Amino acid sequence: MAALSANSVTSAKSDKSGNSAKQLLNQLAREEQRRFRLAVASGLLAGAFTWVQMGLFAWCVTALIVDSQPLRELSPLFALWLLILPLRGLLTYLQETLSQQASLAIRKRLRQRLLHHMIALGPVRLSGYHSASLSYQLVEQVEALDGYFAHFRVQLWLATLLPLGVFVITLRQDWLAALFLALAAPMIPLFMALVGMGAERLNRDQFAAVARLSGHFIDRVRSLTTLQLFGQTAQARESVWAASEGYRTRNMRTLRLAFLSSAVLEFFAAVAIAVVAIYIGFGLLGYIEYGPSDELTLFSGLFILLLAPEFFQPLRSLAQHYHDRAAALGAADSLVNLLAEPPPTTRTGHTPPVPEAPNTLIALQNARVSHPERGVVLGPVTLSLARGETVILTGASGSGKSTLLQLLAGFVDPGEGSRLVASDVRFAWMDQRPLLIQGTLAENLRLAAPKASDEALHQALAHADLSDLVSGLPHGVETSISERGVGLSGGQAQRLALARVFLSQAPLVLLDEPTASLDEHTERAVMQGLEALKREGRTLVIATHHPALKALADRHWHIEHGDLYSAQGQEVRDDPA
Amino acid sequence: MTPPDTLFDTLRPWLSALAKRRARLWLGALLMALTLFSALGLLAISGWFITATGITGLLLAAGVAASLEVYVPGGAIRFFAVSRTVTRYVERLYNHDTVLRLLSDLRTQLFGVLAGLDSRTLAKRRASDWLNRLTADIDTLDSLYLRLLAPPAVALVAILLLSGGVAIFVPRAGALLAAVLILGWLWLTLGQARLGMAASERHVHQLEALRSRAIEQLQGLAELEAYGSLADHRARLDEIEMRLQHDQRTLGRLSALGNALEGWLVSAATLMTLWFAAQAWQAGTVSGPVMVMLVMAVLAMNEALGALPASFTWLGATKGAAARLNQLNAQQMPTNTEVSQPVKNAHTLTLENVHVHYPGALQPALTSLSLTLNPGERLAITGASGSGKSTLAALVSRQLSPTSGHITLGGVPLAQWPEDTLRQRVAVLTQQTELLDDSLAANLRLANPEADDAALWRVLKNVDLAEWANTLPQGLKTRVGEGGRQLSGGQARRVALARLFLRDPDLVLLDEPFAGVDELTAQHLSNFMDSWLAGRSVIYLVHGLNKNAPLPPRITHAVALAD
Repeated sequence: MAALSANSVTSAKSDKSGNSAKQLLNQLAREEQRRFRLAVASGLLAGAFTWVQMGLFAWCVTALIVDSQPLRELSPLFALWLLILPLRGLLTYLQETLSQQASLAIRKRLRQRLLHHMIALGPVRLSGYHSASLSYQLVEQVEALDGYFAHFRVQLWLATLLPLGVFVITLRQDWLAALFLALAAPMIPLFMALVGMGAERLNRDQFAAVARLSGHFIDRVRSLTTLQLFGQTAQARESVWAASEGYRTRNMRTLRLAFLSSAVLEFFAAVAIAVVAIYIGFGLLGYIEYGPSDELTLFSGLFILLLAPEFFQPLRSLAQHYHDRAAALGAADSLVNLLAEPPPTTRTGHTPPVPEAPNTLIALQNARVSHPERGVVLGPVTLSLARGETVILTGASGSGKSTLLQLLAGFVDPGEGSRLVASDVRFAWMDQRPLLIQGTLAENLRLAAPKASDEALHQALAHADLSDLVSGLPHGVETSISERGVGLSGGQAQRLALARVFLSQAPLVLLDEPTASLDEHTERAVMQGLEALKREGRTLVIATHHPALKALADRHWHIEHGDLYSAQGQEVRDDPA
Repeated sequence: MTPPDTLFDTLRPWLSALAKRRARLWLGALLMALTLFSALGLLAISGWFITATGITGLLLAAGVAASLEVYVPGGAIRFFAVSRTVTRYVERLYNHDTVLRLLSDLRTQLFGVLAGLDSRTLAKRRASDWLNRLTADIDTLDSLYLRLLAPPAVALVAILLLSGGVAIFVPRAGALLAAVLILGWLWLTLGQARLGMAASERHVHQLEALRSRAIEQLQGLAELEAYGSLADHRARLDEIEMRLQHDQRTLGRLSALGNALEGWLVSAATLMTLWFAAQAWQAGTVSGPVMVMLVMAVLAMNEALGALPASFTWLGATKGAAARLNQLNAQQMPTNTEVSQPVKNAHTLTLENVHVHYPGALQPALTSLSLTLNPGERLAITGASGSGKSTLAALVSRQLSPTSGHITLGGVPLAQWPEDTLRQRVAVLTQQTELLDDSLAANLRLANPEADDAALWRVLKNVDLAEWANTLPQGLKTRVGEGGRQLSGGQARRVALARLFLRDPDLVLLDEPFAGVDELTAQHLSNFMDSWLAGRSVIYLVHGLNKNAPLPPRITHAVALAD
């Protein structure tokens, strides 16, 4: 019961966001309207050429059989037909490539938009998401829209317009035959709904089941070390098999029904063709004594018969692409949710005010950071930081240390308060998980200063106590650290980040727990590095637990439950400094 | 060591995996062929019927006494109309069942391969994007049959039968038809595959490059923004996207070209058949209705060839998936050399000049490490993360082979221990707690499948979890969630410890045994652990000895590993 009600809740929710997913898809499509229109036009024209071919075929047969014309006299007809063939090929090629171009352009634009939005959200808001799931949205879910734009959208128009064309032509030949098709016509929305429901349900069920099954498999693979250690790999293998087979039997039950919907479409198509064929045959024999059948000729009979499959073909193609629509809606749904999250106001084209005192690098006035679920997490805080100062920031984990650093960096909003920054202050940032990009050591260093000379790189490495390591490498700074820092230990990565700080020359350095989880050797190296930075005259704010770092500090801030105190126990917001 | 790279060599292991289901595959292809022949039959007989009735109608109108037997062709038309639908439905159902069976086969087979990987390879593989790609690769291969094997085979058979059938009536048309359609078939399969091979093989890698650049950009946003290098990094991302889209455009154009050619081919074949059949009709060798029937049958070949170009343009993706999975086979741990001397117990351990250097790493993970552990000793090995502690654990539990040096366990070279005995005699608590997304009981029973509920409750009591487990409505049947997410870090750690207490090993390796456990509980655990460890040889792997964190019980001596 619980599962049932939960299900209905999610479906109600997905109905609502399903609308905005559709809106997103339509909005994206509008940007490529021209290409889509051209693609539909090409598809229609290609369809029309198919009809012409059918007409030529019926004409030739009639000319041969009824009018007993010699084949040679028909060669102009054959020549015309030959001419049409490449034209029709060109048109289908155009239809496909135009909608593919549209799809490529849409995906590129959407990816830019998402990336822009993610950057606007900033590192703090993004930390609420798993980076793997964000990159999944940016890569896979954008790709998942391909089928919808490259196939479905154009095919939907063709499936509406081409059958209409066939109907009109048939009507001119024989209204009763057209009536047979027309009788199938009201069934068409029904087919579409059936196929759609089948495909959508299939897609949903399939997706959930596949996710569960992959989950089981991945779970076992992730635990393989433990399974090996307990000698349980053979049993786990059995369980992978059992889960797969269980999934198969359950899934086949769903498929039996889901395939039925497209079988209905096939059935009507086949029966309509058969009925038309038999009607025409009997009509030509003169067995049917009512209606227009006595006007039927071999030409019109053959022509109608040849056109009848073309009445259903666009629909069958559409049915094949229906899963593209479901996949796109699913992806769009998740993207809409991400795009709906408003970025912090300070991060969208806002220049912070400049503090009055010339020696002040950065200042906060009544700044407050609140979190939708946890309420106010920091502040109100008023402080100012002078050039060249070194400040140690302490506090229990979760007290708001990192939030204060993020506030100083401008990653979060100061609420009703304000953040004042001396003009063109650049800052360096280092936290416990330094960024390592795929590429060489040099490329990783130059993130901080793209134009730094090799000499500057080596100097920075020396400051971070990495010279020995790098000089021991055959390719030196050109050694590549591929696959997310494979080859570097945690401590080495931390020191690389420190080298970047040195290289950056940024006057303000914000450090979040720079020595956490390092061994004593690395810890010492990092501490010496920080001292060197201080000597260079840089302004340092260091959030840390580490007692030894206090010796460096000119000032000491302490945070308790989001309130800031100076080391003397006086609240900083009352501090005139 | 280089993996084979010809298409056939790459696919061979997977083709032979498919071959185990040979009977099903043949039957599936037969159903596909029946569907096709129904469609062909429906069009051909209808064409024949209408022409025949048309001619008879003309004769009747001209006052000539003529008659046409209408019930057999009428019945045939109705029959094909129904059989097309039914065979199509049965075929789809049957072939999807086959694909799902293949999926089970391949997953299970692959799991066996993964189980033979060493701990280093596995550790690298734990990342979820790798696992997702792995499952995607299997999915690519399980549709190998449905997209790339059965349709071209059925199409080829249809081409031969159709040309043969046409040849019976008009030999010249039949021969030409066979030549044109077979050439076309070769183009639509092999030709398209060849043109699309490089781009479609690259596609997965480009997606992956895009994904990892995107992760860099998002995870490193703080630093990139601080250093003002967002735009620089963004340019790298854009460049990858550009290359990706370039290939996608190429592949899209190729498959559009293939589709256009396919349409042209069938139409041209139809036209050609009409020309020769008309000649034959005028020469009096075939009747009018037969002439139309032959042409209509050729027209229906669209159904057989339509799906080929798109599938084969993307053949490289399947090849790439197979090649990646094949690589795993090449990374198997060497199986242990058979025992040359009987193993007794695992109370003593010696490492002699052991050296480990992972391929691609900047520095060796362990350099000339030698140590001896005597019965009953408790050796603490200290060092920061990255200093090689986990490498040492993997060496001792034989999940990794040293680059050089010797390891003996109980006086016997470690490599010679039989797998089962080794697993019984040596127990390891890994640094990372791995719990299956299964019940609490199932997770505990990994250590000892025969343990009864009483034994499980006993070890839970030993780790101070019995009271908590008692409050759970489902008790031991409570599911722990993916990776043990329903438990706190400390609880998960204690479940891992409880699991260990279900075993009876000689040598125990404990990697940060109290990680994530609060001090009070650690003290309690330490007491029980001390008594359980009595009589066993122990290696503790810890961060350091002078930290505030609680230390495991009764360390006899210590060795420090340098970073």
